[in-house]
Amino acid sequence: MGELRLPLLMFAFVPGDSLAHRLDPRGKLLVQIAFAAAAYAHTTPRGLAVLSLLAVGCVRAAGGSVREVAWGYRWAAPFLLTAPLIAGATLGAPWFELDRAFRAGLASYRVLLILLVAGAYVRSTPVRDSRAAVQRTVPGKTGQFLGIGVGLVFRFLPLLRRDLVAAREGMRARGGGALPVRDRMRIVATAGLRRAFARADRLALALNARCLAWNPTLPRLCFRRRDLPVVALAAALLVAAVVPFLRA
Amino acid sequence: MIAAADVTVCRGDTVAVDGVTLTVEDGEFLVLAGPNGSGKTSLVRTFNGLTEPDSGEVRIDGRPVTENLVAARTAVGMVFQDPRDQIVAATVGADVAFGPENLGLPHDEIDRRVADALAAVGLHGRAEDRVDALSGGERERLAIAGALAMAPAHLVLDEPFTGLDNPSRRAVLDRLHELHAAGTGVVVVTHDLRDVLELADRVAVLADGEVAVEGPPAEAVATLAADADLGVRVPDKWANCGSHS
Repeated sequence: MGELRLPLLMFAFVPGDSLAHRLDPRGKLLVQIAFAAAAYAHTTPRGLAVLSLLAVGCVRAAGGSVREVAWGYRWAAPFLLTAPLIAGATLGAPWFELDRAFRAGLASYRVLLILLVAGAYVRSTPVRDSRAAVQRTVPGKTGQFLGIGVGLVFRFLPLLRRDLVAAREGMRARGGGALPVRDRMRIVATAGLRRAFARADRLALALNARCLAWNPTLPRLCFRRRDLPVVALAAALLVAAVVPFLRA
Repeated sequence: MIAAADVTVCRGDTVAVDGVTLTVEDGEFLVLAGPNGSGKTSLVRTFNGLTEPDSGEVRIDGRPVTENLVAARTAVGMVFQDPRDQIVAATVGADVAFGPENLGLPHDEIDRRVADALAAVGLHGRAEDRVDALSGGERERLAIAGALAMAPAHLVLDEPFTGLDNPSRRAVLDRLHELHAAGTGVVVVTHDLRDVLELADRVAVLADGEVAVEGPPAEAVATLAADADLGVRVPDKWANCGSHS
């Protein structure tokens, strides 16, 4: 069986013509925020079941598959899976409380759903559109600062990840795969850190050479008719998130 | 015109560029050669202010580079040794547009520059292609397009043929030839003079941070062929006829 070749574009825009690709990034950002709020307000099996359907819909609308996006977030799996075990463990009898573990499990699942929706956003939104959405939503210098930050993070992370993969493959190519896990982690981490600094220097140089500006010409963004359902969905999610607090 | 006057660049305790004085005329095709570590990259990075000289000065059209860095970086486009270091977007068109967007140009002008730059490097119609799906030669040409979209008077390419196969080298050379013919000044930094000599108006060779040889290609090659210590590979057909012109 061939090697699983899914994780190539984690945290990266994938050009395409899916429904999500054609939507205004501001609407998509709004859905992200509203989805996260709803997930925190409804961390119940029923609430999360509904949100699961929605998360799958978001990923599909972005032209991706749940498997692909979930695989891209596999680094989070150890934390999400061990959280319920740690939450359920007790220092004395009964040694493990199922109820607490269950609640922590729901919280972990909630995080996974939020990550899926975020993955759908990243997959379907060019970095410069994200920057434009942030700068047009948040006015003034704050928006420029956030916009440039978003741009830099999403430009730097894929490069950094590629460097880490290269470091790991370089280690394996010379028999490093047979080393104990601790040594492998040390080698990749050390090489990765070194490369990260070098990468940051080169990226800074490239951005300087290309006249990186605080306030560049931003891509044209405009709400269209097809964005209305997205905004309506975000509004519904926000209402669903707020209602429980109002009732309380 | 780029005019470097008595430029010195230090890297820690090492003097990378040692008092170099060199001019690049508008529209000129200059080959800047020299072995690894001779200071070529350090020198050309002073041309648009990416590196500040420790002493000396670089002027573009008579104005110090440090006076207006954006103007300098617009006038002198830079293509790095590894094009992946300067490609910042996921798609071809978005990457070429990155520079003009930073200049604050209107959308129509950006669209025009992107189309022109892609056409100039033979990537016409590839604006929506994914950058990570490009070959090494196409990435090199994309990096050139990114620099061209800034409408530079001079294009500086640092070891542009590294890692390219022959068809890709040929494609890049053809594009450089066309750009030069259209009036763009070209500076190619290399340690291997194959192919580029035929395009060059002038050759300058750096050794240990100093200009060791400077002149028309035939003269420079004659000197290089006689002095193997300069560490520059000279094409056989040129080495065998030092008086080639």
